[in-house]
Amino acid sequence: MLTVGFREFKSLFSSIRSIVIIVVLFGVTIGSARLVRQFEAPLQELGLGNDAYAMGLMLLLILAAPLFVTSLSHNIVNKEMDTRTIRFLATKTSRSNIILGKFIGSFLFWAVCITVALLLIIPFSKSFSIVNLVQSIIFVSYFVGLTLFLSTIIPKPSLSMFLGIIISIALPVLGLWSAGTDNLFIKAVGYVTPYFYYMQEESNNYYAYFVAFFPILFILLSVFIFRKRDL
Amino acid sequence: MEALQTNQLTKTYGKKTVVDSVDLHIPQGSIFGFLGKNGAGKSTLINMVTGLIKPSSGSFEVLGQSGNRLESLQKEIGVLPDYSTFYDDLTAFSHLNYFQKLLKQSLSRQDIHRVLTRVGLEDAVHVKVKKFSFGMKKKLGIAQSIIHQPKLLFLDEPTSGVDANAVLNIHSLIKEIAAQGTTVFLTSHNLNEVEKLCDEIAIMNKGSIQTQGTMKQLREQYQQAIIVHIHHRSLSEKEQTQLKNSLKDLAADTQIAENTSEITVQANELIPQVNKKFVQQDIGVFRLEVEEPSLEEIFLNLE
Ligand SMILES: Nc1ncnc2c1ncn2[C@@H]1O[C@H](COP(=O)(O)OP(=O)(O)OP(=O)(O)O)[C@@H](O)[C@H]1O
Ligand SMILES: [Mg+2]
Repeated sequence: MLTVGFREFKSLFSSIRSIVIIVVLFGVTIGSARLVRQFEAPLQELGLGNDAYAMGLMLLLILAAPLFVTSLSHNIVNKEMDTRTIRFLATKTSRSNIILGKFIGSFLFWAVCITVALLLIIPFSKSFSIVNLVQSIIFVSYFVGLTLFLSTIIPKPSLSMFLGIIISIALPVLGLWSAGTDNLFIKAVGYVTPYFYYMQEESNNYYAYFVAFFPILFILLSVFIFRKRDL
Repeated sequence: MEALQTNQLTKTYGKKTVVDSVDLHIPQGSIFGFLGKNGAGKSTLINMVTGLIKPSSGSFEVLGQSGNRLESLQKEIGVLPDYSTFYDDLTAFSHLNYFQKLLKQSLSRQDIHRVLTRVGLEDAVHVKVKKFSFGMKKKLGIAQSIIHQPKLLFLDEPTSGVDANAVLNIHSLIKEIAAQGTTVFLTSHNLNEVEKLCDEIAIMNKGSIQTQGTMKQLREQYQQAIIVHIHHRSLSEKEQTQLKNSLKDLAADTQIAENTSEITVQANELIPQVNKKFVQQDIGVFRLEVEEPSLEEIFLNLE
């Protein structure tokens, strides 16, 4: 399981796409941090204060995380089914280990990226919030789990890319929309997106931790399906 | 305990039955050859018993354990699947290193080098697989199937697409592994290879096992006629006619010539009687050769 995870983690870091995404992530983080600094005074008045930097990163994640994760990880399982390298894995370790390992690798990759991004804005914000870090990582893990699931149920990488992009545009739209509508269908969809939980106006926002159940659910479903698959 | 046993094992794709109620028994410690035309269902059967694809019905046991518990046996089983590719960006060495970790082995660098040398990849240890030829990938495929010294080894067409030297090397490797007590299950379209290597053979046709047995049993079962070539002293015209007449009741066909004759009989038991006729007529025999049908002939005559 850890072997698969480590290999996945390493290969994510070594692809061109991931480097581009890391550069974009860090670039935008620093860029927006600079921008926030220019409006420091009005933001202080709004009571956002130093959190504004982390909020900037959060906003970026909220809008772009689905796309980032999809574009990097949409083929995490089905690429190996397509090339049949999966056959070498499946004769050497259990199928649940493969799925768990894939999740761990991809999850660690994003956790590291987000941590580094938050560290990069320390010079601007002069603070580091563990709560923000954990909430951002949980947020991204939702999409890591979702792409893992899509990649398991859709055999063709090109199709999972296509569907993944559609979903990663639709989810934020539906999620944010559900907050301001009385339409029952949209509201119901909102409950299965992480946006609903992240927009609760609680202090400390405990709802956000609830989102961690989704990736677990996605993993369980993926394992269940993958165990029955012909490889 | 048998190395592999299948009970009514079946795989259907849609309406097409690709493997049809197969009952196969493979004893431990043998080299088992699995033959059949393209599309007969050989790879499908291997993929089922190695856990890659799920049977539609029926069951199987590997090394005495139920097929449902295959994942607990992975350290005992080596598999070269019929078709697969590797990770382009990894070297041969990194592949084996990754795979041995998956199998929870603890091979040293030297151990991995040794396996790669054994399959003939000593010059490509640190070369990325995207630069490999087809045959080199096949060798890496064989290497990954034996790194953990399995008790049961499935090789689906181990020698297709590799050069003549490499074929000989793979043959000696298979024999070596079998000598250490590993049961080898192999498929091949090279009938000479199967005849040479395998203790027991099964022939599959349209999803069913058509026949199974040792080479000797298959010969006895499928041999339609035995041709005996006899080299003898020169015979006069008269002697030739006499000989032909005396063999009339024994032989299905006789081709008598001055120095050599070909006598076709239906059973092995008739050969001594043929010889006796020669002796009775005082015809000195220099050499007597019995032509055995090759696996190829048996295979081509089937169906
Ligand atoms: N995933 C699949 N879907 C539908 N049909 C399949 C599938 N896999 C295999 N088949 C069919 O099953 C049959 C048996 O295939 P299999 O690969 O087992 O044959 P084989 O005996 O290994 O042939 P070869 O000697 O060419 O390797 C073929 O007719 C093939 O078309
Ligand atoms: Mg085949």
